Amino acid sequence: MKSGIATIIVFFTINTVVLFAQTTSNRILNFQPKFGNEDLQLIEAVYTTKNNDSIWIDVFKCYVSNIALLQNGKVVWQEKNSFHLINSAEQESLRLMLQTPVALTFDAIQFNVGIDSVTNVSGAMGGDLDPTNGMYWTWQSGYINIKLEGRSNKCLTRNNAFTFHLGGYQFPYNALQKVMISIQQNEKINIVTDIQKFISSIDLTTQNQIMTPGKSAMFLSNQFSTIFSELKQ
Amino acid sequence: MKKVTIFFLLLIFVLTAFVSVSQLFVVPKGWPKPNYDFSKNPLSKEKIELGRALFYDPILSRDNSISCASCHNPYNAFANANHQLSLGIEDKTGSRNAPVLVNLAWEKKFMWDGAINHLDMQSLFPITHPDEMGEQLDHVISKLKGSTIYPRLFYKAYQDSIVTGEHLLKAIAQFMLTLVSSNSKYDSVMRHQAVFSNQEKNGYQLFKKNCNSCHTEPLFTNHEFENNGLPINKILKDFGRMKVTGLAIDSLKFKVPTLRNIQYSSPYMHDGRFTRLQDVLKHYTLGIQKSSTLSQKIQQSIVLTSNERVDIIAFLLTLSDNSFILNPSFNFAKHNLYQ
Ligand code: HEC
Ligand code: HEC
Repeated sequence: MKSGIATIIVFFTINTVVLFAQTTSNRILNFQPKFGNEDLQLIEAVYTTKNNDSIWIDVFKCYVSNIALLQNGKVVWQEKNSFHLINSAEQESLRLMLQTPVALTFDAIQFNVGIDSVTNVSGAMGGDLDPTNGMYWTWQSGYINIKLEGRSNKCLTRNNAFTFHLGGYQFPYNALQKVMISIQQNEKINIVTDIQKFISSIDLTTQNQIMTPGKSAMFLSNQFSTIFSELKQ
Repeated sequence: MKKVTIFFLLLIFVLTAFVSVSQLFVVPKGWPKPNYDFSKNPLSKEKIELGRALFYDPILSRDNSISCASCHNPYNAFANANHQLSLGIEDKTGSRNAPVLVNLAWEKKFMWDGAINHLDMQSLFPITHPDEMGEQLDHVISKLKGSTIYPRLFYKAYQDSIVTGEHLLKAIAQFMLTLVSSNSKYDSVMRHQAVFSNQEKNGYQLFKKNCNSCHTEPLFTNHEFENNGLPINKILKDFGRMKVTGLAIDSLKFKVPTLRNIQYSSPYMHDGRFTRLQDVLKHYTLGIQKSSTLSQKIQQSIVLTSNERVDIIAFLLTLSDNSFILNPSFNFAKHNLYQ
């Protein structure tokens, strides 16, 4: 009896592995943090904003979730359990492997920036969602969707620092952003995140510290959602 | 024939799994379904033990001086008897009174203002709060990794000795989920195993009339946020639920606390302003302050003679659960750490 069961299990395992290997592949989804045309370098590199201010970026992290690929406006592939913490300081985190069918054509990618409200109230989770990754508020439950920290002479704060911890999942301050961008390259998806675009949309003199959910966090999250685009070859 | 054997083996397996889980957590008869989703964090003896060890261990604080139990004492139904406002590391005073930890599996939101949305996430607050344990999360994790006992306890619980935030939080939550109090005199009376004295019976009737709309049986809370008419403390300026939602309609609303084991958990209210139950009853009869957010349920004044107040207190004392306070599996168990 035992050997019978074992045979069946082995048979099925081989079968699924073979099937899987034939039809799915690891399609690379690459995020490239940039400041304007330059690759983003944390802490040391000084950048100039469109208003000629000097700026340094110390931390850039965000959640990308619910990734889907679309063709003619229809979803043709959707990642299961799709939660990724993108961290400029960790190269590996910028390179995602999407297990998609080999033969798949699509003209757009869609994802959320941040963590949805259901996941926000579902208790402790592991991996990229582990609340000890520094992307979770401890004094009031909720994921931090986006963390951007740096320095600029525009900020009349201690160490000229600016700190944006953007998030919030509760009505009316749900800061989750849906992003959809068109894609031409299908083998490998390259997405630029241009921090300059975000920074130039705000006045760092008056707005340099947002660390709670609310109106400002909603507004800035929306600004942030515009920084994604396909890398121009 | 073979199929039948396999079927029965499976059935036995499923049944034993069910029995062992249900023994770790029993929903008392007649109680509602717990709010906690156990399927996302299935209880096991080893995980509960790990959670208990962590709950009693000051390793979670920056200077290894304060544990969860420093503020949540088992003999006070896990409240804090000594301080109106909790006392953290380096004798720093917090801004609120530590509540009882009782029947948390049924709670929907945590803290007086509901700032915490899930029991798993609760521990993050005290561990990182500068006036409580003042620690950094990654530092706690690395201290636990380097300790002589925890990698083994994590392995026993999760078949993985690597300490992760998820496992840490879920284990502490498991221990707290086991803190069920359902063996008070009140419960015996409801199960027809005991009878109220005349005074208690009268108190119970008065309670049902005046208090039960918020402190609803059998958990003695409606899990809502209500303004029960306490005048604001001018120094603390604590507006309760409004801090979390940002909505003016939530001003001065606080979570309705359970009244189970109320005898053990003095001082009372979010800021510990009352030390005796008679002070609380005096508030409800004479001290309610009208304001725009005062609960509809107490718009009409509560009228109680002094005898009636004494009767209500007699009833409240029937909510004391000695078997909860003295339950050895809720206490610190050093010997378990080295097994
Ligand atoms: C310095 C004292 C202190 C320490 C240490 C402490 N707590 Fe608390 N705890 C409090 C106070 C005060 C509150 C209420 C705070 C509020 O509402 O803002 C509270 C609230 C809670 C609640 C919410 C209960 C409810 O019904 O809403 C839980 C659960 C809890 N603590 C568990 C823990 C755990 C687990 C630990 C250890 C990791 C811990 N506490 C450490 C003081 C403390
Ligand atoms: C409108 C809802 C409401 C009603 C009715 C009500 N309470 Fe309360 N009760 C609360 C709230 C809310 C709190 C917590 C308030 C705070 O700390 O700011 C509370 C706190 C308490 C506490 C302190 C519990 C603790 O752990 O500190 C006691 C005791 C209490 N109530 C007893 C009673 C009694 C007895 C009655 C009936 C005479 C009553 N309550 C009626 C809402 C209510």
